[in-house]
Amino acid sequence: MPRFLTDFIQACMDGLLTGALYALIGMGLALIFGVMRIVNFAHGAFLMVGMYVSWVLFDKFQVNPYIGFLISGLFLFVFGYLVYRALIQPIRDRSDFMQILMTTGIALILVDSVQLKFGADYHQTIIDLTNRPPFSFGAFTLNRAALLSFVIAGVFIVGLQQFVVRSRTGQALRAIAQNREVAPLMGINVTMIQGFSFALGIAMAGLAGGLLLPALYLFPSVGEDYTLKAFVIVVLGGMGSIEGAAIGGLVLGMTESITSAYLGQQWALAVDFILFLLVLSLKPSGIFGRQRA
Amino acid sequence: MTALRGWRIFALLGVTAVFACLPLFLPNDYVLQVFFRIVLFAALGLAWNLVGGYAGQLSLGHVAYFGVGAYGMAMLYAHHVPLWLSVLFSALIATGFAAIIGSIVFRLRGPYFTLSTIAFAEVLRLSVTNLPAAGGAIGLSTPALFPPGAFWKMFYLSAVALAFVSFLVNAWTSRSRFGYYLMAIREDEDTAAAVGIDTANYKLRALMASAFLTALGGGLYGSAFQFIVPDSVLSGEISVQIAIITMLGGAGTLLGPVVGAVLLLAASELFKNKFQESHLLTYGILIVIVVLVLPEGIVGGLKQLFQRKTKPPASVAPLAATPAQGGD
Repeated sequence: MPRFLTDFIQACMDGLLTGALYALIGMGLALIFGVMRIVNFAHGAFLMVGMYVSWVLFDKFQVNPYIGFLISGLFLFVFGYLVYRALIQPIRDRSDFMQILMTTGIALILVDSVQLKFGADYHQTIIDLTNRPPFSFGAFTLNRAALLSFVIAGVFIVGLQQFVVRSRTGQALRAIAQNREVAPLMGINVTMIQGFSFALGIAMAGLAGGLLLPALYLFPSVGEDYTLKAFVIVVLGGMGSIEGAAIGGLVLGMTESITSAYLGQQWALAVDFILFLLVLSLKPSGIFGRQRA
Repeated sequence: MTALRGWRIFALLGVTAVFACLPLFLPNDYVLQVFFRIVLFAALGLAWNLVGGYAGQLSLGHVAYFGVGAYGMAMLYAHHVPLWLSVLFSALIATGFAAIIGSIVFRLRGPYFTLSTIAFAEVLRLSVTNLPAAGGAIGLSTPALFPPGAFWKMFYLSAVALAFVSFLVNAWTSRSRFGYYLMAIREDEDTAAAVGIDTANYKLRALMASAFLTALGGGLYGSAFQFIVPDSVLSGEISVQIAIITMLGGAGTLLGPVVGAVLLLAASELFKNKFQESHLLTYGILIVIVVLVLPEGIVGGLKQLFQRKTKPPASVAPLAATPAQGGD
C-alpha cells in the first residue's frame, strides 16, 4: 500500500477513536440543547469536573480511571440535577440570551472553584495501559488506552440512543420536545423529566471526562474548548438528533486528526470552528439533514 | 431613555470634567492605571451596548475587534505608518472586519449567533497564535502613544475621551430612529422585519460602529501595556468581561455600562488579593445573581422601581422580557 494512503487511513482511525469520546460529549449536549432547548455554555466545565472527580479518585484512592469514570458519571448526574433545579429551572422560559449568561456564569464558578481547591497546576494521570506499546496490525498502530475508551464510549452511545428511543422516559422526553403544552396533559411530569434529562446529558459529559483523563493533561480550564466543540458536534449532526450528534462527534474527531496529520496539531481547533461556521451558514440543518427528533 | 437636553448636557460635561481632573489628585501610577482600566472598560461596555443592549444581539466575540485594534496598531506602526494614523487605520480595519463577520453571523439567531461570534474570535486568536508574521504566541511589542513623563495620565485621559464619545453615540442611539429600529429588532425581529425595517442592515451598522469604538479601546490598551500576546488581547475572557459589565449595569441603558464597569472592576481589584488567580469566581457569582434576581441589570432594575413608584406599570420591558423565540 502506498505510504500516503496508510498515513491517511491511520489518521482516520486515530480520529475515530477520539471521535467516540466526542460523540459521547456531543450526545449529552444534544439532549440538553437539541432536544430540551437549553443553551448550555457550561458543558465543558461539567466535563472538567468529571475529569477532576476521576483524577481525585485516582490520586487519593488509586482507582483506575477506567473504573473511576463511572463514578464521575454518577457524581455529575446528581450534581447536574441539583444545578438544574437550583439555577436552570428558574430561568427555563427566559430568552436564550439569559440562558447563555446563566450557564456562562455557572462555567466561570465551576472553573474557578476547582482552581481555588486544586490550584492551576497541570496534572498527568499515568496508568499502566497508556505506557504499553500500541496495538499494531499491518502498517497500522492503535493506542491501547484510546481503543479501550472507544469501546466503552461505544457501549454508552448505543445505550443512550436506545434509552431515548425505547424507554418510557425517553418517549416522554421526546414528547416534551415536540410539544411542551400538550405533554403535561398526557400525564407527563415535565419538571421531573427535564431535570432527569439535563442530569443525563451532564452525566454523559462526566463519563467522557473520566475517559479523557488518561489522554490529557488536567488543569482547571481544560474543558473550555470542549464547550465549543460540543456545540460544533451538535450542529454538525443536525439539531435535536441524538444519533446525528454521535456521527457529528466521529466526523469532528476525524477532521481534527486529519488536520493534525497534514497541517499540524495547532490548527485543529481553528479548523473545527471554520467547519462550524461553514455548516451554520451553508447547511444549518446539519450535514446529516434531519431537523429534529 | 434619557434625552440629551438642557441640564443633562451640562451634567454630562460636568461629570466628564470631574473625571478628566481626577489624575491631578490620584496618589500614584498604580491607582491611575486601575482607573484607566475602569474607564476603558466603561467605554468598551458602551460600545458593546449598541449591539448587545439596544439591538439585543448577544455577541461574545467582541475581543476580535479589540484584538484587531491592538494588533493592527502594532503591526501598522512596524510598517512605518505614523503612530496615531495606525490607531485610526486599525480601527477602520476592525470596522471592515465587522462588516464581513456581521454579514455572516447576523443571518443566524439566538445561540447560533452567539456561538458564531465566539467561533470567529477564536479562529482569529488561533491564527495569530500560529502565524509568525503576527508575532505568534510570543507576541509583539507595541509603540507607546505617549511619552514616559505623563504616561498614565495621558492614557487615562484618552480613555475618558473614548468613554465620552461612546456615551454620546449611545445617547444619540437611544433617541434616534436608528436606535428605535434596533430596539424593535431586539423586542421582536420578525415583526420588525414585517413592518419594513431592514433588520440585517441596521444590525450590521450597529456592529460596525461598535467594532470601531472597541478597536480604538484595543489600541489604547495594547499601547498602555506595551506588549501584546494573543492570550491577553484576543482572549475570550475579554469578550465575556465586556458583556458582563454591560449586563450587570443594565444592557440597553445609557448609564448601565458605566455603573457595571465601576462595580465589576472595583470588585475584582478588591478581591484580587483574596482569590488571586480566581477573580473570575466573582464574575460568575455576579452573573448568576444578576440573571436570577436582576435580569435588567442595576440601572434597568432601578429604573423599573422608580417608574413603578411614579407611574402605573411601565411598559418598558427590555431584554429579560423578550419571548424565547417562539419556543423554537
